[in-house]
Order: sequence, then structure tokens, then C-alpha cells
Amino acid sequence: MAVPVPWACCAVLAAAAAVVYAQRHSPHETPHVQYERLGSDVTLPCGTANWDAAVTWRVNGTDLAPDLLNGSQLVLRGLELGHSGLYACFHRDSWHLRHQVLLNVGLPPREPVLSCRSNTYPKGFYCSWHLPTPTYIPNTFNVTVLHGSKIMVCEKDPALKNRCHIRYMHLFSTVKYKVSISVSNALGHNATAITFDEFTIVKPDPPENVVARPVPSNPRRLEVTWQTPSTWPDPESFPLKFFLRYRPLILDQWQHVELSDGTAHTITDAYAGKEYIIQVAAKDNEIGTWSDWSVAAHATPWTEEPRHLTTEAQAPETTASTTSSLAPPPTTKICDPGELGSGGGPSAPFFISVLVTLALAAAAAASSLLI
Amino acid sequence: MLACLCTVLWHLPAVPALNRTGDPGPGPSIQKTYDLTRYLEHQLRSLAGTYLNYLGPPFNEPDFNPPRLGAETLPRATVNLEVWRSLNDRLRLTQNYEAYSHLLCYLRGLNRQAATAELRRSLAHFCTSLQGLLGSIAGVMAALGYPLPQPLPGTEPTWTPGPAHSDFLQKMDDFWLLKELQTWLWRSAKDFNRLKKKMQPPAAAVTLHLEAHGF
Repeated sequence: MAVPVPWACCAVLAAAAAVVYAQRHSPHETPHVQYERLGSDVTLPCGTANWDAAVTWRVNGTDLAPDLLNGSQLVLRGLELGHSGLYACFHRDSWHLRHQVLLNVGLPPREPVLSCRSNTYPKGFYCSWHLPTPTYIPNTFNVTVLHGSKIMVCEKDPALKNRCHIRYMHLFSTVKYKVSISVSNALGHNATAITFDEFTIVKPDPPENVVARPVPSNPRRLEVTWQTPSTWPDPESFPLKFFLRYRPLILDQWQHVELSDGTAHTITDAYAGKEYIIQVAAKDNEIGTWSDWSVAAHATPWTEEPRHLTTEAQAPETTASTTSSLAPPPTTKICDPGELGSGGGPSAPFFISVLVTLALAAAAAASSLLI
Repeated sequence: MLACLCTVLWHLPAVPALNRTGDPGPGPSIQKTYDLTRYLEHQLRSLAGTYLNYLGPPFNEPDFNPPRLGAETLPRATVNLEVWRSLNDRLRLTQNYEAYSHLLCYLRGLNRQAATAELRRSLAHFCTSLQGLLGSIAGVMAALGYPLPQPLPGTEPTWTPGPAHSDFLQKMDDFWLLKELQTWLWRSAKDFNRLKKKMQPPAAAVTLHLEAHGF
């Protein structure tokens, strides 16, 4: 029925695609890559065409309005990031591709931020950097490390591209390290440097595997254990000291304990029944700065099992078994005599029986007097 | 050129080795020596700050990073990592002892030239503490049966006025002296940590020895 029509349609589309492809991938024309500064104005000439040549400009395949043209040149004012793209100019009548420009709008780099740290003392240290604001175009970084006048190798990190590693050859050096970084892109370049002593950049990773546990039968205690960070290579010769902080979730005020050795501590002043948050930090015993806080551990101190309400008949058996194992609660009120006898069972019947007995005794006494 | 007369120190009487029964061993005196290095390091921080201010800029600027020229006779704390790790106890202690002996001598020279009475007082106090550290190290060496280092005849350091030494170069020497002293105190803390671990009770020492193979 209508079969030949879709076939013809496909053929036309295929032909159009071929023409566009030929125009875009003309064998003698590879795009000229151009970088321009954000906010600036740029004039793109159409290759070697005369100023008065009749051309049409396109960006990413979309036609551009003729009012942007100055003769055969494309004028773009106040460049924005959205202006980045593939610009092509064609001879107006023949649609012959004259010139292509791959325009990248970006910024020159600002001063990079560089920092170095040794979390693996005494093995070495690493430096990492970043730009405070993006440039939107590719940047290359170059890092040099000087120890006095000696150049040291900074090995690139296998995973992170803005980090490199330096190995200490000598320890206990009085000469400072100077790390310089320069960054450049097509629009400009910048640099910075930092100088430091071996000892000042030592900062371990936070302690690992922080675990907090309640202590059975101790409603105000929490036992905390942790491990030295696995990145610290030699805790025997370079021992770490630790700083523990804890608070109940419902309060903002932290409590602190500094521990000169050991990887365990028992908190003895926890509020009963409140959930706690606990963190630990580490520092070399003598040099450097404290690590960041560890991942938080949560725990609630041990609390006794709540007593269930029971009927009168059951009261003597249940209470007889519990009184022997429980420590008296801190808010023990004065026992009334009824509780002593039946251990917490309802006391009213006992009182009534006492009263009745007394009443009977009084009545008996009164009657004996009367007689 | 820094040079020093140090006869007094080199002829400290040898402390006899402790051999009493029930002797706790060198452990407590190693701990004491460690504690002294921490105390001295703390004391040095305020002393160095005051002294560098007295020297004036650029010596008291935090970014001051001069090349290490002159001051060649100062004992240097810096050491190759593997060499430091593999030092035996006797050598480790000897290096500490010799370093502080020299440093104390130079410090006393500094004290002679210091301009203000307050500086001289602080320096004198520090020298006394440093002398205490030396005695403590000597005590550890004696407890372990190591002889105190003696200078070879003919190499005894003597004070030489030296060629015309400019004011600036003299200040540079002072700067490096304080820097080296600070670094030695940090190094000693690590040295004594290592000694402390090695002097643990036998059972623990065996475990530590096995673990040490990993390094």
C-alpha cells in the first residue's frame, strides 16, 4: 500500500546525512582549536576568505544570525561558557566548508592551593593541590621539591591526579623543604610555593575501627577500643598518643580525655541510658599536629531489664527471685512494711488484716474491762 | 668558626654500673631521659623565640630558610633513615651523648656574648638543664655497661678566636646552633622511644623482635 513512500523518505534522509557529513568532515579541513577568555570579545575570521565574501556561519550545526557578522567574520561579544563549541563557516551559495574553529571559553588559572602532609612518618610525605576556581579548559601542573639545594622526586599518585609522593631519605633535618607548583593553560599561568620543616607537616590519619561497647552491670560505663591508623608505618619507634571525645547525643558539650598510650579507654561518667557518640584522634607523641576525628562510634550504657507488672498471686514468686540479684536502684524510696513481708506485693490486704486484728484485740480488751 | 673548650665535660667521672639485686634495670632511667628531652624541648621553644628576636630580622622570621653554610663543626642530627633504624644501642646513646656535649659547650659560648642579663639568665638555666640531660644519658650508658665516650688525645676541642668573623655570620652560627639543638631534642625523643621499647621485659621483647623484622 504505502510501502514505497517510507523507502523514499529513508533514501532522502540518508543522502542529506551524507552531504552534511561531507561538509563537516571535508578532508582538507581540520578544526582550528582556539581558547578565549570568559567575558571577552572575539572575532573569528572565516579562514582565508576576503572580508566581503558571502559566508554563513554555523555553531554545532545550527545557523547563526547574520547580525553577528562583520563582513565574513563572526563577532562574539561577552563570551560565556555556552559559547564553547564547533564554529564553521560555509560559502553561502555552494555550502562549501571554508573554515572550522573549535572554540573553548575559559579562564587563566588563579594561584593554586598547595599543601603537604606526612601521614606515613618517617617514610615520606605527599603534596596535593587544586585550583580555587575552575578554568573550564585543560590545565597542566608541574611540581618541584627542593630539600635545601637538592632536588627530590615527587612520584605521581596512581589514583589521584592532583597528588604526588616524596620519600624521606634523611630524617631529623634542619634544612627546610620547598615545594613549588606551577599551573598553566592556554590563557595564562600561575604558581605558588610553600616551605616547611620536616616536623611541622606530620599529621597521622585518624584511628581506625573505633568501637564502643556497654559494660555489663555498669550503667555508667562505656568501653572504647580503637586501632592505630594502618598508614602509620612504625608505631613502635614513633608511638602515637590519642585524644578521645564523647558526649550524649542530646547534649552539645563534648568531654575530652587525652591518652598517652594504649588503644582502649573506659568512660566511667556516662549518663545512664543515654546514647553516646564517641570519636578518637591521634598524634605523634612529640611532633606534628592532631589527626582529623575518626568515624564516630555510637553506644548506650548498659541498663537493667525493665520489670514487668504482675498479678497479686504471682507477686511472691517473681519478686523473691529478683530481689536477690538486683542492686538497689539509686532512687529507692523508703520501704513500707507491706513490701518487706511479701517483697513488693500489694500491701493493702495485710494492713487490713492488721487493723482487723487490732480492732478485735481492742474489742476483746474493752469487753474484758466492761465485765 | 665555632670551636669550643670542653674539658670539664669530657672528664665527667664514670658512673659505676648498677648491679644491685632487684635492680629495675635501665628502663626507669631511659624513661627519665626521655622526659628530660621533652622538658628541654619545651624550654628551648621560649628560649629560642627570645634569642632570635634579640638577633633581629631575618633570623626571627618564620620563613627564614638560609642555606646551611658555616657551622660545620656543629653536631648534625640528620641521619639516613635506614642507618638511624639500624643503630645499635651503644652507638645510639654515644651519638646523643657526644652531640649534647658539644652543643652545651657552644651554648656556654653563646651565654658569654649575650647582651642582656635576662638572656644570660635564660641561657644559664637552659645550660643547667642540658647538663642534667647529659648526666642522665651517662647514667643510662653506665647501667648498660657502655663506657662514656672520651676524646682522642690531640683532638680535644679548644677555643680559637678565629679570623675576623662578621657580625652577620656570627648570628648565622647562633641561628644554626639553636636549630640543631631543637632538632637533636626531637631526635633524642625518638631515640629514647626506640631504646625504651627494646628494654621491655623479655617476653614482650621477643614479640617486639619478631615484629621488628617487618621493618
